[in-house]
Amino acid sequence: MEDLTEMLKGTLEGCVLQIIASEETYGYAITRQLNELGFADVVEGTVYTILLRLERNRLVQVSKRPSGVGPPRKFYALNEAGREELNKFWAKWQYLSSRIDKLKEGGR
Amino acid sequence: MGIQDIIEGKKQWRAHTARVKALPADYRIVYKEMQKYLFKVGPVDLPDGPLLPGIVDFFEEGVAAGKGVLELIGSDVAAFCDGLIQDTRTYADVYQESISAQPGTADK
Amino acid sequence: MNFWETITGSDLTREWKAFEARAETLPDDYRAAWDQIKHYLIPQGDFTGRSLMPILDAALGLLEETAAEGQSVQEVLGDDVQGFCTALTGGHGARTYRDRWREQLNRNVARKLSRLGG
Repeated sequence: MEDLTEMLKGTLEGCVLQIIASEETYGYAITRQLNELGFADVVEGTVYTILLRLERNRLVQVSKRPSGVGPPRKFYALNEAGREELNKFWAKWQYLSSRIDKLKEGGR
Repeated sequence: MGIQDIIEGKKQWRAHTARVKALPADYRIVYKEMQKYLFKVGPVDLPDGPLLPGIVDFFEEGVAAGKGVLELIGSDVAAFCDGLIQDTRTYADVYQESISAQPGTADK
Repeated sequence: MNFWETITGSDLTREWKAFEARAETLPDDYRAAWDQIKHYLIPQGDFTGRSLMPILDAALGLLEETAAEGQSVQEVLGDDVQGFCTALTGGHGARTYRDRWREQLNRNVARKLSRLGG
């Protein structure tokens, strides 16, 4: 689907948290997973800025490991604060989507 | 800031600049334009924080993966920059706070 | 006694002298721009000299970097130095100026990458 960028903005961070929650992983792999999910316009740079924010807000644990090609890779895992943040994200998402669905069904 | 800090800072800065010079031309161009923009916007941890070296780390990974720079970060370079410094204080914020703090202290 | 000292307190003069020493090494047009930047920033600076220091430092750093690249000062600051200073300090109208910086960034990148030939 095209033109998702604006709508996706506030939720992409939650998506990245969810991906990291299921396994420790790195930026490029996260981007590929989002692309395969159907968010084709998400580039690595976008994921990089999100990971930077997660790190700055101490929601993830970061470890550097050598990669087969090029410089070492940063791997990300959720910490306790990150898991809490992820729970909050799903609660907000559920609320938002239930309200919007209700609106579509005619406000009943 | 002590003399030692300044010397250390200069050494680190030179090492950083050398890494930038070693990037392919397209990456180098984008990095320099980004740095100029970031200098103007002025996030507080820019000169000695992890932001700029982090960008070079990320760019080196992109180079190793054989990607073009815009393929890596998308064509809206400004949006990428804004994502990097989202939620961080700028010198302008600090300055504005110092101005607005004054009438308050004068009242007491 | 210089102007800066009277408004900020002498503990900042050492930093200030370091700025001036750096500015001395800039090309003429850049030095003129630096004088203009000081002119716009310092009158707002009474009692807030300390919080102005990093802003001046960043502005000087920008001038040094771009002068080293051989760009014209016009290309870096545009025509409106006063507006530039407003944006640096986050004053009124800073938002529109930052939008202009964004456009400038993307335009410069597009132009310079196309010059590379693809």
